[in-house]
Amino acid sequence: MGNKLLLHAEKIDKRFGPTHAVKEVSLDFYEGEIHALIGENGSGKSTFTNMLTGILPIGSGTFTLSGEQVAPKNQVDANHHGIAIVVQETGTLSGLTVAENMFLGDEDQFIKNGLKDTRAMNKKAQELLDAYGLSYIKATSAVDMYNFEDRKLVEIVRSTYFDPKILVVDETTTALSQSGRDKLFEVMRDVRAKGHCVIFISHDMAEVMDMSDRISILRDGDFITTVDVSEVDEDKLKTLMVGREMGDHYYRTDYPDYANEPAGDVAVCMENVSVPGELDEVSLTLHRGEILGIGGLSECGMHEVGKAIFGASYDRTGTVKLGDGTEINDINTAIDHSIAYASKDRDHESLLINDTIEDNITLPSMRDMGTVLSDKKLHDFAQKYAEIMSTKMVGVNQYVSALSGGNKQKVVLARWLGKQSDILVLDSPTRGIDIKVKAAIYALMEDMRKQGKAILIISEEIMELIGMCDRILVMKDGKVNGELLRSPELCEQDLIAKMV
Amino acid sequence: MGFLEKAKKSQWYGVGLLLVITVLCWAVFKVLCPDTFGAPDQLLTYLQTGIIYAVGGCGLYFIVVMGLWDFSIGSVLVLACLLSIGFAQMFGYPGLIIAPIVAGALMGVANGAAYIKLRIPSLIVTVGLSLIYESFSVFASDWAGTRLPDAYKMFGSYPWNLIVALAAFGLCAFILKYTKLGTYVNAIGANELTAKNMGVNVDKYKFFAFVLCSMFVGIMAILYIGYGTAQTPMTGMLSQSLNFKPLMGTFFALAFRKYGHPVVSVVIGEFIIAMMFAGFVALGMPVTVNNIITGATLLIIVCITTKRIKGAVVK
Repeated sequence: MGNKLLLHAEKIDKRFGPTHAVKEVSLDFYEGEIHALIGENGSGKSTFTNMLTGILPIGSGTFTLSGEQVAPKNQVDANHHGIAIVVQETGTLSGLTVAENMFLGDEDQFIKNGLKDTRAMNKKAQELLDAYGLSYIKATSAVDMYNFEDRKLVEIVRSTYFDPKILVVDETTTALSQSGRDKLFEVMRDVRAKGHCVIFISHDMAEVMDMSDRISILRDGDFITTVDVSEVDEDKLKTLMVGREMGDHYYRTDYPDYANEPAGDVAVCMENVSVPGELDEVSLTLHRGEILGIGGLSECGMHEVGKAIFGASYDRTGTVKLGDGTEINDINTAIDHSIAYASKDRDHESLLINDTIEDNITLPSMRDMGTVLSDKKLHDFAQKYAEIMSTKMVGVNQYVSALSGGNKQKVVLARWLGKQSDILVLDSPTRGIDIKVKAAIYALMEDMRKQGKAILIISEEIMELIGMCDRILVMKDGKVNGELLRSPELCEQDLIAKMV
Repeated sequence: MGFLEKAKKSQWYGVGLLLVITVLCWAVFKVLCPDTFGAPDQLLTYLQTGIIYAVGGCGLYFIVVMGLWDFSIGSVLVLACLLSIGFAQMFGYPGLIIAPIVAGALMGVANGAAYIKLRIPSLIVTVGLSLIYESFSVFASDWAGTRLPDAYKMFGSYPWNLIVALAAFGLCAFILKYTKLGTYVNAIGANELTAKNMGVNVDKYKFFAFVLCSMFVGIMAILYIGYGTAQTPMTGMLSQSLNFKPLMGTFFALAFRKYGHPVVSVVIGEFIIAMMFAGFVALGMPVTVNNIITGATLLIIVCITTKRIKGAVVK
């Protein structure tokens, strides 16, 4: 790279409690380049760029932009340093006009004698929208009037109109149609042409190869390498991205002869299930004594499969049936028929975070404990299953919020273990969990499988799926894109080829 | 794009819709009781009632749009009215006007400071403080009495009530449109974390919102005491009953928020509510039935105009 160094990141580090999200990452970004940052979910890409753009405080380390050390306090402060970001989620705020969204936190340029010159702000916003070819978006209209893509385009204008030296585009393309993507790519090329730098985060390898000059890979918070785009192909990139070394002893070592062994009875069956924007005619069958894996990129719809089986999907069409023909259309029926569900969003959807371990474990089992609940019975029940799961705790009266991620997950599993559930739907069961607890959870799953329980794992960790599942369904764009059987020859590339 | 779709994109669609509801409401009662409802002079009376609550509703908008609550406004109103009576007797009209506004603002300072410093939910903070303000209202009535002298009833009738109300509406609209606070209360309500990330000092603007809310209730007190001419102190949470009429106007503003013009929505909303009350009275219905139907109507209007997302957590 013959260009001048623009941004230097020196030993950038960030922890969230026990999770070490970014581990002393040092990286250089040059003038006039589009620099892709890739890695699996949880590899630390967004955490790294969120620190650069003031969304998160820097744990330790320094960013030096054009020779000057920067540590933005928030996004607007980052903008003032010449750093901007287009975020993955919706970054515009409802209830505000388009113009107010574009200049939120930066209204001072329109303040005259202490008052906001709304007319000038609207005028400037409209001029910018026009300049970007977005005249149909009116600066004075409430942003709520526009669809997700238009709101994203407003964000792109907001993030780039002031000619930032560094523009971070974080997983934005998935939210855009082709024309929206073209607009974004045009803006990115324009930033590069001006001698500035784009940090581009995307899971779409073709897009990354097409748009980038150099690519840096992060894995589990570690910096792996930076490569020139001319030196690699998509396959090489995928290998760099997911090629972690995992100890095989955490996983199952058996490889059943599926061709000759009969499958167990059908535990649950999904037929042509669709959920608008999430699933498109998905069918699958989960058998007793089987671990079925669902894999894919985070937004492929796989997380909705778990909700659909648990009766927690809204606007679902198609059927979810148990082996005996019982239809599952709501959560209560699911629980009554021995289905357990652990959500990916553990703190918000699985746990009563501000409640005790006892309440969390006993909650679904209370319906089987009679009308009058005995304190002792509840306490003993919670104690028993918390201990089976080796939950590290002061006592079952301890609040769940005080537990580590791994122990929180143990509480979730203890709950369903206590409920004696026969069908377990586990979404990202080892997310944010250390190796020791992971091994314990894998061992528990294997025990349950041997007991004839049916287990469905939804996971973004490829090795976990390969290591634990009898079958893996790979999803892409809300559909099942392929099925892979357990085999010693099965490797990451087989799955990645079907998910990307 | 069809006419209706085009119209829906207009910023004035919400106001138009509210006006249609107003006309429908008027027409229904006019048909049911043609002689006792809805003559032009009666409409002016409904409007004069509605604007009193609309002033309080405007103040409350700053709070509710952020997802917070202020359940002290009833007690702020009572205390402000009593102080207005007392200071009117000492300083004439300047006392009548300035005392409730300053008292309101000071109670807003107390609300805001308590909320920010104690870090407990706004509903609990304001209910707790309203008990204190209620007690102060007893002291204030001992000092000032409960009746506004006849010489100071100017703001209870047209056109002065309308002038004060219009000034308050103008001030509210101005703050919402031409100050950072107006933008920031909406931003905080939409996503507090994002607003923080954009450099908005969330605590500071929440504090100012509480001050503004109570200050507007202070302005409302000028109209309220002028219209009613007497105010007894309220204790034991009785003042809570005064919270709801201003709140109803605020609900209208929230329901029509995406079309902009919250102040206009508050005013029209309060006018609709006042008209409905008068309509039911004209029909000879007891107040209890009025309340049931008015409450149900409010819920229906908000349900029709608010896009509800399946599965979303509603608090």
